[in-house]
Amino acid sequence: MAKIAIIDDDPDILDASGLVLTSQGHEIVTATNPDDGYKIVMDNKPDLIILDVMMNEPDDGFFLAQKFRKEKIFTPIIMYTSVSKSIGMDFGVNEMVPVDEFVEKPISPEQLIEKVEKLLHTEAGR
Amino acid sequence: MGEKYKPKILIIDDEKGIRDGTKRLLESEGYSADTASNGEEGIYAGTTVEYDAAIIDLKMPGIDGIAVLKAILKSRPNTVCIIATGYASYETAVESTSYGAFGYIPKPFTSDELLQKINQAVYKRQLLLESEKWKKEREERLLEVAFEKTRLNTIINSISDGLLVVNKEGQAVLFNPSALKFLGVENILIEEQVIDRLPEGISSLIYKFLRSGKYEKTTYSARLEPSNTTDLFIEAAASAVPHHDGSLAGVVVVLKDITEMKKLEQLKSQFVSMVSHELKAPVAAVYGYLQLLDNSSISLTEEQKKNYLKRSQLRLDSVLKMVNDLLDISRMEMKTITREIKEIQLGSVVRNVIEFLSLEINKQNLNLKLELDEPIPTVNADMEEITRLFINLLSNAVKYNKPGGSIEINIFSSGGFAAARIKDTGIGLMPEEKEKIFHEFFRAKNEMTKDISGTGLGLSIVKRIVDSYAGKVEVESEFGKGTAFTVYLPVNTEAGISIKEKEILTDNN
Repeated sequence: MAKIAIIDDDPDILDASGLVLTSQGHEIVTATNPDDGYKIVMDNKPDLIILDVMMNEPDDGFFLAQKFRKEKIFTPIIMYTSVSKSIGMDFGVNEMVPVDEFVEKPISPEQLIEKVEKLLHTEAGR
Repeated sequence: MGEKYKPKILIIDDEKGIRDGTKRLLESEGYSADTASNGEEGIYAGTTVEYDAAIIDLKMPGIDGIAVLKAILKSRPNTVCIIATGYASYETAVESTSYGAFGYIPKPFTSDELLQKINQAVYKRQLLLESEKWKKEREERLLEVAFEKTRLNTIINSISDGLLVVNKEGQAVLFNPSALKFLGVENILIEEQVIDRLPEGISSLIYKFLRSGKYEKTTYSARLEPSNTTDLFIEAAASAVPHHDGSLAGVVVVLKDITEMKKLEQLKSQFVSMVSHELKAPVAAVYGYLQLLDNSSISLTEEQKKNYLKRSQLRLDSVLKMVNDLLDISRMEMKTITREIKEIQLGSVVRNVIEFLSLEINKQNLNLKLELDEPIPTVNADMEEITRLFINLLSNAVKYNKPGGSIEINIFSSGGFAAARIKDTGIGLMPEEKEKIFHEFFRAKNEMTKDISGTGLGLSIVKRIVDSYAGKVEVESEFGKGTAFTVYLPVNTEAGISIKEKEILTDNN
């Protein structure tokens, strides 16, 4: 089983996503802002990070992801998005947006579990 | 038409015989003739009356013929003068013509010689008059053209749209100051080869016409983004200018500054995406909970289930509140709110609001102090709006306060304003938050605010209401200590908008 960090400013999303993943036997650490998010990742060294793109600022999650990569933290990242496309930030997985998967909110438990398992397996296979 | 025009001839001669004989001859030939017997008389007659022609004897006692000729021509340049002389010689002829005489006639002369000369003179006179007329007309027309041109230039220079005309050779023909500004060009010289100095988007428009070389009745348009020479968004439309014969004369480019429109467009889409985000977040949260409750593979305790239902309800409440706030904002913006303006005592409004919020105030165990300065100021406003304003401010003071904290409300007059200051002992604002506090959807986010629900629209509604009454709202705050909002509303004078809306209201009734 894996350790997963969820960073999102919406406590209800943390709650629901956390529960879905703990039901799968994963260990969850959470944070509601980029600063705390950075801290829990550094402290807990999770196997996977779930990161909301829009926290205080519309691109907080995006910058946090870049910061991780810059500091050679290559933990796989799933990015939660909601309306980023309509603000003109048409994300794709690339060097500038160094995440492994995008998920548009809301997400069903099955989808979340599937994406998480997929990334954890590729990671294990690396 | 009246009688046939009789050309008027003046005869100036000191010999009576010649005077009378010539006069008789001319009159019999259909001329009208006057006589003068010396230079002095001759000058007088020839300058006071416009004669068609004059015959001037060269040798006269006193003032001679040349002096008379000069005097007459000076004041009547179109009177055709003939010099009559008994000493006809080449020199006299040259001399007299050099002073402006039309010709000379040697004395003595025959009737035929005289009549021929006079006929020529009258014909010359006609030519002179005609050319004078043309000259005058031409001058008038030139003046008119010049005037027309200045007027056109003034008009073109004063329009706010940019205008640039180039001819078929690509030379600048006409432009106005706005065009220079919009194109980001310092100056253009008339007849300068200008196309390649223009932004690429514009030059390619012009080339479309110049390459074909033919007049076509099409308009091409392009949009220019801000560049290093100008920070404006410009919309350009280029059309061909035809010659009279329908061939291509040049191209006219009209430039419109659409920067403001672009900004509004941007604001609009920002607002739309903010709204979508704010609405989607609670929907996603509720969706997440419902999925959990519905999922048989995830086992939940009864307490968890209850909690998730309660959370879902709270989030849906917030969506509802937000939609209502948004509708209010949109009504305010579209000015479809029907106001009922009447005299309102701020004290009684605030008392009602306190009453309305008393449950929350007691729940938080807050100490509330209301101070009213006498006389209690009144404003002319819509009761519902002012109540809304104070509900938003006071509920913030309650929501963001610490348990057992206090709220101080002062109502007082200040200049021409009725003022209300609401001070809490709550979380307070960081300096950078103070600037954004009235923006739509802005909410201070920190450890202490995370469990406080809000739409992020309350203060933006406060600001809109205050602005619509030409008032102002000020905020003082210290992070960790508390915040004070002071609202100023114009006293007893109906602010511009209010008056207008009241009039509209009465009109509609």
